[in-house]
Amino acid sequence: MTVNVVEARGLTKRFGSVEAVTDVSFSVAEHGICGLLGRNGSGKTTLMHLLTGQEFASSGRSTLFGESPVENAAVLGRTCFIKETQTYPDGFRAKHVLRAASWVFPHWDAELADQLVVEFDVPLGRRVKRMSRGQRSAVGVVVGIASRAELTIFDEPYAGLDAVARHIFYDRLLQDYGIHPRTILMSTHLIDEVADILDRVLVIDDGRLMIDADADELRGSATTLAGRHSAVQGFAEGREVLTWDSLGGLATVTLTGLTEAEKSAAQAAGLDVVPVSLQQLIVGRTRGAAREEIAS
Amino acid sequence: MTAIVDTVPHVPLTKRWANVLRIHVANPWPTLVTPWLIFTAIFGLNYAIWRIVLMAAGTGGVQPGAFQDNGGATWILFYMVVVAVQSMNQTFRFAIGFSSTRRDYFLGTATLFVGLSAFYAIGITLLAGAERVTGGWGVEGGFFAPAFVANLPLVQVAYVYFATLLFMFFLGAAVGSVFVRWGANGILVFIGSLAVVLVATVWFVTKAGDWGTVGSFFADTSVPTILTWSLPVTSVAAFVGYALMRRATPRA
Repeated sequence: MTVNVVEARGLTKRFGSVEAVTDVSFSVAEHGICGLLGRNGSGKTTLMHLLTGQEFASSGRSTLFGESPVENAAVLGRTCFIKETQTYPDGFRAKHVLRAASWVFPHWDAELADQLVVEFDVPLGRRVKRMSRGQRSAVGVVVGIASRAELTIFDEPYAGLDAVARHIFYDRLLQDYGIHPRTILMSTHLIDEVADILDRVLVIDDGRLMIDADADELRGSATTLAGRHSAVQGFAEGREVLTWDSLGGLATVTLTGLTEAEKSAAQAAGLDVVPVSLQQLIVGRTRGAAREEIAS
Repeated sequence: MTAIVDTVPHVPLTKRWANVLRIHVANPWPTLVTPWLIFTAIFGLNYAIWRIVLMAAGTGGVQPGAFQDNGGATWILFYMVVVAVQSMNQTFRFAIGFSSTRRDYFLGTATLFVGLSAFYAIGITLLAGAERVTGGWGVEGGFFAPAFVANLPLVQVAYVYFATLLFMFFLGAAVGSVFVRWGANGILVFIGSLAVVLVATVWFVTKAGDWGTVGSFFADTSVPTILTWSLPVTSVAAFVGYALMRRATPRA
Protein backbone atom coordinates (compact mmCIF):
# COMPACT_ATOMS: atom_id res chain seq x y z
CA MET A 1 0.00 0.00 0.00
CA THR A 2 1.35 3.42 -0.86
CA VAL A 3 0.50 6.48 1.13
CA ASN A 4 0.13 9.81 -0.60
CA VAL A 5 2.74 12.24 0.62
CA VAL A 6 0.22 15.07 0.58
CA GLU A 7 -3.51 14.70 0.71
CA ALA A 8 -6.20 17.35 1.10
CA ARG A 9 -9.92 16.72 1.39
CA GLY A 10 -12.36 19.60 1.33
CA LEU A 11 -9.77 21.91 2.83
CA THR A 12 -11.28 25.32 3.65
CA LYS A 13 -9.86 28.33 5.49
CA ARG A 14 -11.80 31.42 6.44
CA PHE A 15 -10.30 34.57 7.95
CA GLY A 16 -13.32 36.36 9.35
CA SER A 17 -15.66 36.79 6.40
CA VAL A 18 -12.97 36.15 3.79
CA GLU A 19 -12.61 32.64 2.45
CA ALA A 20 -8.96 32.26 1.46
CA VAL A 21 -9.13 28.56 0.55
CA THR A 22 -12.37 26.89 -0.49
CA ASP A 23 -13.02 23.17 -0.55
CA VAL A 24 -9.66 22.10 -1.96
CA SER A 25 -9.08 18.38 -2.54
CA PHE A 26 -6.06 16.80 -4.17
CA SER A 27 -3.31 14.34 -3.48
CA VAL A 28 0.36 14.18 -4.32
CA ALA A 29 2.08 10.81 -4.59
CA GLU A 30 5.66 10.11 -3.62
CA HIS A 31 8.41 11.66 -5.79
CA GLY A 32 7.83 14.25 -8.46
CA ILE A 33 7.70 17.97 -8.82
CA CYS A 34 4.27 19.46 -8.50
CA GLY A 35 3.56 23.09 -9.33
CA LEU A 36 0.96 25.04 -7.42
CA LEU A 37 0.14 27.83 -9.78
CA GLY A 38 -2.11 30.80 -9.42
CA ARG A 39 -2.26 34.54 -9.31
CA ASN A 40 -1.11 36.60 -6.34
CA GLY A 41 -3.65 36.39 -3.54
CA SER A 42 -5.26 33.27 -4.96
CA GLY A 43 -4.69 31.31 -1.75
CA LYS A 44 -1.44 29.47 -2.51
CA THR A 45 0.38 30.56 0.62
CA THR A 46 -2.59 29.89 2.90
CA LEU A 47 -3.00 26.44 1.37
CA MET A 48 0.66 25.65 2.04
CA HIS A 49 0.36 26.88 5.62
CA LEU A 50 -2.62 24.58 6.06
CA LEU A 51 -0.78 21.61 4.57
CA THR A 52 2.11 22.07 7.00
CA GLY A 53 -0.09 22.60 10.05
CA GLN A 54 1.04 26.19 10.51
CA GLU A 55 -2.53 27.36 10.02
CA PHE A 56 -5.61 25.56 11.29
CA ALA A 57 -8.25 24.58 8.74
CA SER A 58 -11.78 25.95 9.18
CA SER A 59 -13.10 22.72 7.73
CA GLY A 60 -11.88 19.74 5.76
CA ARG A 61 -8.66 17.89 6.49
CA SER A 62 -5.22 17.24 5.13
CA THR A 63 -2.46 14.77 5.78
CA LEU A 64 1.27 14.52 5.19
CA PHE A 65 2.61 10.97 4.86
CA GLY A 66 -0.85 9.78 5.90
CA GLU A 67 -0.98 11.70 9.18
CA SER A 68 -2.38 15.03 10.28
CA PRO A 69 0.41 17.63 10.16
CA VAL A 70 -0.90 19.62 13.11
CA GLU A 71 1.58 19.38 15.99
CA ASN A 72 2.96 16.20 14.44
CA ALA A 73 6.73 16.21 14.93
CA ALA A 74 7.17 12.93 13.03
CA VAL A 75 5.78 14.21 9.72
CA LEU A 76 6.97 17.80 10.09
CA GLY A 77 10.50 16.49 10.60
CA ARG A 78 10.30 15.00 7.12
CA THR A 79 9.07 18.25 5.62
CA CYS A 80 10.87 21.43 4.69
CA PHE A 81 8.70 24.45 3.92
CA ILE A 82 10.50 27.42 2.41
CA LYS A 83 8.38 30.51 2.12
CA GLU A 84 8.93 34.04 1.00
CA THR A 85 7.26 35.31 4.17
CA GLN A 86 9.62 33.46 6.53
CA THR A 87 10.88 35.75 9.29
CA TYR A 88 14.12 35.39 11.22
CA PRO A 89 15.01 36.41 14.77
CA ASP A 90 16.74 39.80 15.11
CA GLY A 91 20.46 39.43 14.84
CA PHE A 92 20.26 36.17 12.90
CA ARG A 93 22.86 36.02 10.16
CA ALA A 94 22.77 33.66 7.20
CA LYS A 95 25.26 31.37 8.98
CA HIS A 96 22.87 31.07 11.95
CA VAL A 97 20.04 30.10 9.61
CA LEU A 98 22.15 27.39 7.99
CA ARG A 99 23.35 26.16 11.37
CA ALA A 100 19.75 25.89 12.58
CA ALA A 101 18.80 24.06 9.38
CA SER A 102 21.61 21.55 9.92
CA TRP A 103 20.13 20.66 13.33
CA VAL A 104 16.51 20.54 12.25
CA PHE A 105 16.62 18.61 8.96
CA PRO A 106 17.77 15.02 9.39
CA HIS A 107 18.99 14.65 5.78
CA TRP A 108 20.90 17.97 5.74
CA ASP A 109 23.94 17.96 3.45
CA ALA A 110 26.43 20.55 4.71
CA GLU A 111 28.75 20.13 1.74
CA LEU A 112 25.94 20.80 -0.70
CA ALA A 113 24.88 23.80 1.35
CA ASP A 114 28.42 25.24 1.21
CA GLN A 115 28.51 24.76 -2.53
CA LEU A 116 25.11 26.43 -3.00
CA VAL A 117 26.16 29.33 -0.77
CA VAL A 118 28.98 30.03 -3.22
CA GLU A 119 26.78 29.63 -6.28
CA PHE A 120 24.05 31.92 -4.97
CA ASP A 121 26.58 34.31 -3.47
CA VAL A 122 24.92 34.23 -0.04
CA PRO A 123 26.58 36.70 2.37
CA LEU A 124 27.01 34.33 5.35
CA GLY A 125 27.95 37.01 7.85
CA ARG A 126 25.20 39.47 6.99
CA ARG A 127 22.14 39.88 9.18
CA VAL A 128 19.12 38.47 7.39
CA LYS A 129 17.15 41.63 8.25
CA ARG A 130 19.65 43.72 6.32
CA MET A 131 19.65 41.49 3.25
CA SER A 132 18.05 42.33 -0.05
CA ARG A 133 14.97 40.38 -1.02
CA GLY A 134 17.00 38.31 -3.45
CA GLN A 135 19.64 37.44 -0.85
CA ARG A 136 16.96 36.39 1.59
CA SER A 137 15.40 34.20 -1.09
CA ALA A 138 18.81 32.70 -1.79
CA VAL A 139 19.13 31.70 1.88
CA GLY A 140 15.73 29.97 1.64
CA VAL A 141 16.65 28.22 -1.58
CA VAL A 142 19.91 26.89 -0.10
CA VAL A 143 18.01 25.52 2.92
CA GLY A 144 15.29 24.05 0.69
CA ILE A 145 17.69 22.14 -1.54
CA ALA A 146 20.32 21.14 1.04
CA SER A 147 17.72 19.93 3.56
CA ARG A 148 16.84 17.07 1.18
CA ALA A 149 13.55 16.70 3.05
CA GLU A 150 11.32 13.96 1.72
CA LEU A 151 8.69 16.61 1.17
CA THR A 152 9.99 20.03 0.19
CA ILE A 153 7.52 22.84 -0.22
CA PHE A 154 8.61 26.07 -1.87
CA ASP A 155 6.37 29.10 -1.72
CA GLU A 156 7.52 31.64 -4.33
CA PRO A 157 11.13 30.74 -3.55
CA TYR A 158 12.81 33.07 -6.04
CA ALA A 159 11.29 36.46 -5.11
CA GLY A 160 13.89 39.08 -5.91
CA LEU A 161 16.27 36.60 -7.55
CA ASP A 162 17.43 37.62 -11.01
CA ALA A 163 16.99 35.41 -14.06
CA VAL A 164 20.49 33.93 -13.78
CA ALA A 165 20.02 32.99 -10.12
CA ARG A 166 16.59 31.54 -10.85
CA HIS A 167 18.08 29.29 -13.49
CA ILE A 168 20.81 28.16 -11.13
CA PHE A 169 17.98 27.34 -8.71
CA TYR A 170 16.09 25.23 -11.27
CA ASP A 171 19.31 23.49 -12.39
CA ARG A 172 20.51 22.66 -8.89
CA LEU A 173 17.08 21.57 -7.76
CA LEU A 174 16.73 19.21 -10.71
CA GLN A 175 20.28 17.95 -10.36
CA ASP A 176 19.88 17.10 -6.69
CA TYR A 177 16.40 15.76 -7.30
CA GLY A 178 17.91 13.37 -9.84
CA ILE A 179 20.30 11.93 -7.23
CA HIS A 180 17.94 12.17 -4.25
CA PRO A 181 14.37 11.92 -5.49
CA ARG A 182 11.82 13.53 -3.23
CA THR A 183 8.42 15.12 -3.39
CA ILE A 184 8.47 18.77 -4.25
CA LEU A 185 5.52 21.12 -4.17
CA MET A 186 6.32 24.56 -5.52
CA SER A 187 4.12 27.58 -5.82
CA THR A 188 4.99 30.15 -8.41
CA HIS A 189 3.51 32.61 -10.81
CA LEU A 190 6.43 32.44 -13.23
CA ILE A 191 4.69 29.60 -14.98
CA ASP A 192 6.68 29.57 -18.24
CA GLU A 193 9.98 29.32 -16.36
CA VAL A 194 9.06 26.27 -14.35
CA ALA A 195 6.78 24.63 -16.90
CA ASP A 196 9.49 22.27 -18.11
CA ILE A 197 10.42 20.88 -14.72
CA LEU A 198 6.91 20.15 -13.51
CA ASP A 199 5.33 16.71 -13.53
CA ARG A 200 2.05 17.80 -12.06
CA VAL A 201 0.15 21.03 -12.15
CA LEU A 202 -2.34 22.34 -9.63
CA VAL A 203 -3.94 25.64 -10.46
CA ILE A 204 -5.68 27.57 -7.75
CA ASP A 205 -7.82 30.60 -8.47
CA ASP A 206 -9.72 32.61 -5.92
CA GLY A 207 -9.15 29.91 -3.30
CA ARG A 208 -10.52 27.09 -5.45
CA LEU A 209 -8.63 24.33 -7.19
CA MET A 210 -9.28 24.89 -10.91
CA ILE A 211 -6.91 22.42 -12.56
CA ASP A 212 -5.34 19.24 -11.23
CA ALA A 213 -3.56 17.54 -14.08
CA ASP A 214 -0.49 15.81 -15.34
CA ALA A 215 1.80 18.48 -16.82
CA ASP A 216 2.36 16.63 -20.10
CA GLU A 217 -1.33 16.05 -20.63
CA LEU A 218 -2.02 19.65 -19.85
CA ARG A 219 0.64 20.88 -22.25
CA GLY A 220 -0.86 18.86 -25.09
CA SER A 221 -4.41 19.65 -24.16
CA ALA A 222 -4.81 22.98 -25.86
CA THR A 223 -3.96 24.25 -29.31
CA THR A 224 -4.08 27.63 -30.90
CA LEU A 225 -5.45 27.85 -34.43
CA ALA A 226 -4.96 30.97 -36.51
CA GLY A 227 -6.24 31.74 -39.97
CA ARG A 228 -9.31 32.73 -41.91
CA HIS A 229 -12.27 33.49 -39.71
CA SER A 230 -14.62 31.01 -41.32
CA ALA A 231 -12.15 28.11 -41.25
CA VAL A 232 -11.30 28.78 -37.61
CA GLN A 233 -14.96 28.92 -36.69
CA GLY A 234 -15.53 25.54 -38.30
CA PHE A 235 -13.00 23.93 -35.98
CA ALA A 236 -14.14 25.83 -32.93
CA GLU A 237 -17.74 24.77 -33.09
CA GLY A 238 -18.80 22.46 -30.27
CA ARG A 239 -15.49 22.70 -28.43
CA GLU A 240 -14.27 24.37 -25.28
CA VAL A 241 -12.90 27.72 -26.42
CA LEU A 242 -10.37 29.27 -24.05
CA THR A 243 -9.60 32.43 -25.97
CA TRP A 244 -10.99 33.98 -29.13
CA ASP A 245 -9.55 36.98 -30.89
CA SER A 246 -10.49 38.20 -34.29
CA LEU A 247 -9.17 40.97 -36.46
CA GLY A 248 -10.78 41.66 -39.80
CA GLY A 249 -11.16 38.39 -41.64
CA LEU A 250 -8.61 36.62 -39.44
CA ALA A 251 -9.18 34.84 -36.15
CA THR A 252 -7.06 33.21 -33.46
CA VAL A 253 -8.65 30.69 -31.17
CA THR A 254 -7.39 28.47 -28.37
CA LEU A 255 -9.19 25.14 -28.12
CA THR A 256 -8.94 22.10 -25.94
CA GLY A 257 -9.28 18.48 -26.93
CA LEU A 258 -8.02 18.46 -30.52
CA THR A 259 -6.81 15.04 -31.66
CA GLU A 260 -3.67 14.64 -33.78
CA ALA A 261 -5.84 13.89 -36.81
CA GLU A 262 -7.84 17.04 -36.28
CA LYS A 263 -4.64 19.07 -35.95
CA SER A 264 -3.45 17.67 -39.30
CA ALA A 265 -6.81 18.50 -40.81
CA ALA A 266 -6.54 22.06 -39.53
CA GLN A 267 -3.08 22.35 -41.03
CA ALA A 268 -4.36 21.00 -44.32
CA ALA A 269 -7.09 23.63 -44.23
CA GLY A 270 -4.38 26.30 -44.19
CA LEU A 271 -4.54 27.19 -40.51
CA ASP A 272 -1.53 27.81 -38.29
CA VAL A 273 -1.50 25.15 -35.56
CA VAL A 274 0.51 26.12 -32.49
CA PRO A 275 0.74 24.21 -29.20
CA VAL A 276 -0.21 26.36 -26.24
CA SER A 277 2.24 27.00 -23.45
CA LEU A 278 1.27 26.12 -19.93
CA GLN A 279 1.19 29.79 -19.03
CA GLN A 280 -1.15 30.74 -21.85
CA LEU A 281 -3.38 27.83 -21.02
CA ILE A 282 -3.60 28.73 -17.36
CA VAL A 283 -4.12 32.41 -18.04
CA GLY A 284 -6.92 31.42 -20.43
CA ARG A 285 -8.54 29.08 -17.96
CA THR A 286 -8.36 31.35 -14.93
CA ARG A 287 -9.55 34.35 -16.93
CA GLY A 288 -12.41 32.24 -18.22
CA ALA A 289 -13.44 31.41 -14.69
CA ALA A 290 -13.48 35.04 -13.76
CA ARG A 291 -15.68 35.80 -16.75
CA GLU A 292 -18.15 33.07 -15.92
CA GLU A 293 -18.47 34.34 -12.37
CA ILE A 294 -19.15 37.87 -13.54
CA ALA A 295 -21.72 36.55 -16.01
CA SER A 296 -23.52 34.50 -13.38
CA MET B 1 3.41 1.43 4.00
CA THR B 2 5.82 2.89 1.50
CA ALA B 3 9.51 2.27 1.69
CA ILE B 4 10.33 5.83 2.73
CA VAL B 5 8.63 5.32 6.06
CA ASP B 6 11.35 2.91 7.13
CA THR B 7 14.29 5.08 6.09
CA VAL B 8 13.25 8.10 8.09
CA PRO B 9 15.54 8.88 10.97
CA HIS B 10 13.30 9.21 13.97
CA VAL B 11 14.08 12.42 15.79
CA PRO B 12 13.61 11.83 19.52
CA LEU B 13 11.84 14.35 21.72
CA THR B 14 15.00 15.34 23.58
CA LYS B 15 16.76 16.21 20.32
CA ARG B 16 13.78 18.27 19.18
CA TRP B 17 13.82 20.22 22.45
CA ALA B 18 17.55 20.65 22.17
CA ASN B 19 17.09 21.96 18.62
CA VAL B 20 14.69 24.66 19.81
CA LEU B 21 17.09 25.51 22.60
CA ARG B 22 19.98 25.76 20.18
CA ILE B 23 17.97 27.93 17.80
CA HIS B 24 17.49 30.37 20.68
CA VAL B 25 21.22 30.58 21.29
CA ALA B 26 22.38 30.16 17.68
CA ASN B 27 23.13 33.84 18.05
CA PRO B 28 24.36 33.77 21.67
CA TRP B 29 24.78 37.53 22.11
CA PRO B 30 21.39 38.69 23.43
CA THR B 31 20.90 35.81 25.87
CA LEU B 32 24.38 34.76 26.99
CA VAL B 33 26.88 37.52 26.29
CA THR B 34 25.32 41.00 26.21
CA PRO B 35 23.89 40.80 29.78
CA TRP B 36 27.40 40.37 31.21
CA LEU B 37 28.65 43.33 29.21
CA ILE B 38 25.78 45.44 30.57
CA PHE B 39 26.58 44.18 34.08
CA THR B 40 30.20 45.22 33.62
CA ALA B 41 29.19 48.69 32.45
CA ILE B 42 26.60 49.31 35.20
CA PHE B 43 28.87 47.93 37.91
CA GLY B 44 31.81 49.95 36.62
CA LEU B 45 29.78 53.16 36.73
CA ASN B 46 28.45 52.32 40.22
CA TYR B 47 31.93 51.66 41.49
CA ALA B 48 33.15 54.94 40.04
CA ILE B 49 30.28 56.78 41.76
CA TRP B 50 31.12 55.13 45.10
CA ARG B 51 34.70 56.29 44.67
CA ILE B 52 33.57 59.80 43.80
CA VAL B 53 31.35 59.96 46.89
CA LEU B 54 34.22 58.72 49.08
CA MET B 55 36.57 61.27 47.57
CA ALA B 56 34.13 64.11 48.18
CA ALA B 57 33.12 63.01 51.69
CA GLY B 58 36.59 62.04 52.83
CA THR B 59 37.36 59.07 55.08
CA GLY B 60 34.72 58.67 57.80
CA GLY B 61 32.38 61.06 56.02
CA VAL B 62 30.15 58.22 54.81
CA GLN B 63 27.75 56.38 57.11
CA PRO B 64 28.36 52.63 57.48
CA GLY B 65 26.24 50.68 54.97
CA ALA B 66 25.59 53.75 52.81
CA PHE B 67 26.52 51.78 49.69
CA GLN B 68 24.33 48.80 50.56
CA ASP B 69 20.99 49.88 49.07
CA ASN B 70 21.63 49.57 45.41
CA GLY B 71 19.21 48.58 42.64
CA GLY B 72 21.86 48.36 39.93
CA ALA B 73 21.39 44.63 39.41
CA THR B 74 17.61 44.73 38.95
CA TRP B 75 17.87 45.73 35.28
CA ILE B 76 18.53 42.06 34.46
CA LEU B 77 14.97 41.20 35.50
CA PHE B 78 13.41 43.61 33.04
CA TYR B 79 15.91 42.73 30.36
CA MET B 80 14.88 39.09 30.62
CA VAL B 81 11.18 39.95 30.34
CA VAL B 82 12.04 41.58 27.03
CA VAL B 83 14.16 38.57 25.99
CA ALA B 84 11.18 36.31 26.74
CA VAL B 85 8.65 38.45 24.86
CA GLN B 86 10.95 38.73 21.85
CA SER B 87 11.69 35.01 21.81
CA MET B 88 8.00 34.23 21.78
CA ASN B 89 7.45 36.57 18.91
CA GLN B 90 10.48 36.07 16.67
CA THR B 91 11.88 32.67 17.48
CA PHE B 92 8.42 31.14 17.43
CA ARG B 93 7.81 32.24 13.83
CA PHE B 94 11.24 31.02 12.85
CA ALA B 95 11.05 27.65 14.61
CA ILE B 96 7.56 26.88 13.31
CA GLY B 97 8.78 27.78 9.83
CA PHE B 98 11.62 25.32 10.37
CA SER B 99 9.33 22.35 11.01
CA SER B 100 9.05 22.56 14.80
CA THR B 101 5.76 21.83 16.54
CA ARG B 102 4.31 24.38 18.94
CA ARG B 103 4.68 21.89 21.76
CA ASP B 104 8.35 21.22 21.10
CA TYR B 105 8.90 24.93 20.68
CA PHE B 106 7.32 25.80 24.02
CA LEU B 107 9.00 23.01 25.94
CA GLY B 108 12.40 23.82 24.44
CA THR B 109 11.90 27.47 25.21
CA ALA B 110 10.78 26.75 28.78
CA THR B 111 13.92 24.64 29.22
CA LEU B 112 15.98 27.59 27.97
CA PHE B 113 14.26 29.94 30.44
CA VAL B 114 14.91 27.62 33.37
CA GLY B 115 18.50 27.21 32.21
CA LEU B 116 19.06 30.95 31.81
CA SER B 117 17.52 31.59 35.25
CA ALA B 118 19.99 29.13 36.77
CA PHE B 119 22.89 30.49 34.70
CA TYR B 120 22.34 34.09 35.82
CA ALA B 121 21.38 33.17 39.39
CA ILE B 122 24.63 31.25 39.80
CA GLY B 123 26.71 33.85 37.98
CA ILE B 124 25.36 36.75 40.01
CA THR B 125 25.72 34.77 43.24
CA LEU B 126 29.37 34.04 42.49
CA LEU B 127 29.90 37.76 42.03
CA ALA B 128 27.98 38.37 45.27
CA GLY B 129 30.42 35.96 46.95
CA ALA B 130 33.34 37.94 45.55
CA GLU B 131 31.64 41.09 46.79
CA ARG B 132 31.52 39.71 50.34
CA VAL B 133 35.07 38.38 50.28
CA THR B 134 36.45 41.74 49.14
CA GLY B 135 34.54 43.69 51.78
CA GLY B 136 32.10 45.11 49.25
CA TRP B 137 34.81 45.75 46.62
CA GLY B 138 36.83 47.57 49.28
CA VAL B 139 34.18 50.23 49.78
CA GLU B 140 31.47 48.28 51.62
CA GLY B 141 29.39 48.42 48.47
CA GLY B 142 26.46 46.11 47.82
CA PHE B 143 25.81 45.62 44.12
CA PHE B 144 25.21 41.91 43.45
CA ALA B 145 23.67 41.21 46.86
CA PRO B 146 22.37 44.57 48.06
CA ALA B 147 19.65 45.69 50.48
CA PHE B 148 17.36 42.93 51.68
CA VAL B 149 19.50 40.09 50.33
CA ALA B 150 22.71 41.57 51.76
CA ASN B 151 22.61 39.39 54.86
CA LEU B 152 21.24 36.17 53.37
CA PRO B 153 23.44 33.11 52.97
CA LEU B 154 24.67 32.81 49.36
CA VAL B 155 22.52 29.76 48.67
CA GLN B 156 19.47 31.84 49.48
CA VAL B 157 20.75 34.72 47.37
CA ALA B 158 20.98 32.30 44.43
CA TYR B 159 17.48 31.05 45.14
CA VAL B 160 16.05 34.59 45.26
CA TYR B 161 17.60 35.42 41.90
CA PHE B 162 16.55 32.10 40.40
CA ALA B 163 12.90 32.38 41.46
CA THR B 164 12.65 36.04 40.44
CA LEU B 165 14.21 35.42 37.02
CA LEU B 166 11.97 32.42 36.49
CA PHE B 167 8.95 34.57 37.28
CA MET B 168 10.10 37.29 34.87
CA PHE B 169 10.77 34.81 32.06
CA PHE B 170 7.38 33.15 32.25
CA LEU B 171 5.60 36.45 32.71
CA GLY B 172 7.34 37.53 29.50
CA ALA B 173 6.41 34.22 27.86
CA ALA B 174 2.73 34.70 28.74
CA VAL B 175 2.70 38.29 27.50
CA GLY B 176 4.57 37.24 24.35
CA SER B 177 2.03 34.48 23.71
CA VAL B 178 -0.81 36.97 24.02
CA PHE B 179 0.94 39.09 21.41
CA VAL B 180 1.52 36.17 19.04
CA ARG B 181 -2.11 35.11 19.31
CA TRP B 182 -3.92 38.44 19.25
CA GLY B 183 -1.37 41.11 18.34
CA ALA B 184 -1.21 44.58 19.85
CA ASN B 185 -4.93 44.59 20.66
CA GLY B 186 -4.46 41.46 22.72
CA ILE B 187 -1.73 43.18 24.73
CA LEU B 188 -3.99 46.19 25.39
CA VAL B 189 -6.82 43.99 26.63
CA PHE B 190 -4.35 41.96 28.70
CA ILE B 191 -2.82 45.00 30.40
CA GLY B 192 -6.27 46.51 30.91
CA SER B 193 -7.53 43.32 32.56
CA LEU B 194 -4.43 43.12 34.74
CA ALA B 195 -4.99 46.70 35.92
CA VAL B 196 -8.62 45.91 36.77
CA VAL B 197 -7.56 42.84 38.77
CA LEU B 198 -4.92 44.82 40.69
CA VAL B 199 -7.24 47.70 41.53
CA ALA B 200 -9.99 45.26 42.53
CA THR B 201 -7.54 43.49 44.87
CA VAL B 202 -6.53 46.80 46.48
CA TRP B 203 -10.26 47.68 46.75
CA PHE B 204 -11.16 44.50 48.58
CA VAL B 205 -8.11 44.52 50.88
CA THR B 206 -8.87 48.12 51.82
CA LYS B 207 -12.58 47.39 52.31
CA ALA B 208 -11.74 44.48 54.58
CA GLY B 209 -9.27 46.71 56.46
CA ASP B 210 -6.62 44.02 55.99
CA TRP B 211 -3.58 46.07 55.06
CA GLY B 212 -2.11 45.27 58.47
CA THR B 213 -2.16 41.57 57.67
CA VAL B 214 -0.63 42.15 54.26
CA GLY B 215 2.05 44.37 55.75
CA SER B 216 2.98 41.96 58.48
CA PHE B 217 3.12 39.09 55.98
CA PHE B 218 5.84 40.90 54.05
CA ALA B 219 7.55 42.09 57.23
CA ASP B 220 7.53 38.72 58.97
CA THR B 221 8.17 36.44 56.03
CA SER B 222 11.71 35.92 54.82
CA VAL B 223 12.59 36.99 51.28
CA PRO B 224 13.16 33.40 50.06
CA THR B 225 9.77 32.36 51.45
CA ILE B 226 8.04 35.26 49.72
CA LEU B 227 9.67 34.17 46.48
CA THR B 228 8.53 30.61 47.01
CA TRP B 229 5.02 32.09 46.79
CA SER B 230 5.92 33.32 43.30
CA LEU B 231 6.42 29.76 42.06
CA PRO B 232 2.69 28.94 41.75
CA VAL B 233 2.18 32.25 39.95
CA THR B 234 5.09 31.44 37.64
CA SER B 235 3.53 28.03 36.93
CA VAL B 236 0.21 29.65 36.03
CA ALA B 237 1.99 32.08 33.68
CA ALA B 238 3.83 29.15 32.07
CA PHE B 239 0.60 27.22 31.62
CA VAL B 240 -1.20 30.24 30.13
CA GLY B 241 1.69 30.78 27.72
CA TYR B 242 1.61 27.14 26.67
CA ALA B 243 -2.16 27.05 26.23
CA LEU B 244 -2.07 30.18 24.04
CA MET B 245 0.87 28.96 21.97
CA ARG B 246 -0.84 25.70 21.12
CA ARG B 247 -3.22 27.53 18.79
CA ALA B 248 -0.89 30.29 17.62
CA THR B 249 0.02 30.72 13.96
CA PRO B 250 3.18 32.27 12.54
CA ARG B 251 1.28 34.88 10.53
CA ALA B 252 3.47 37.79 9.58
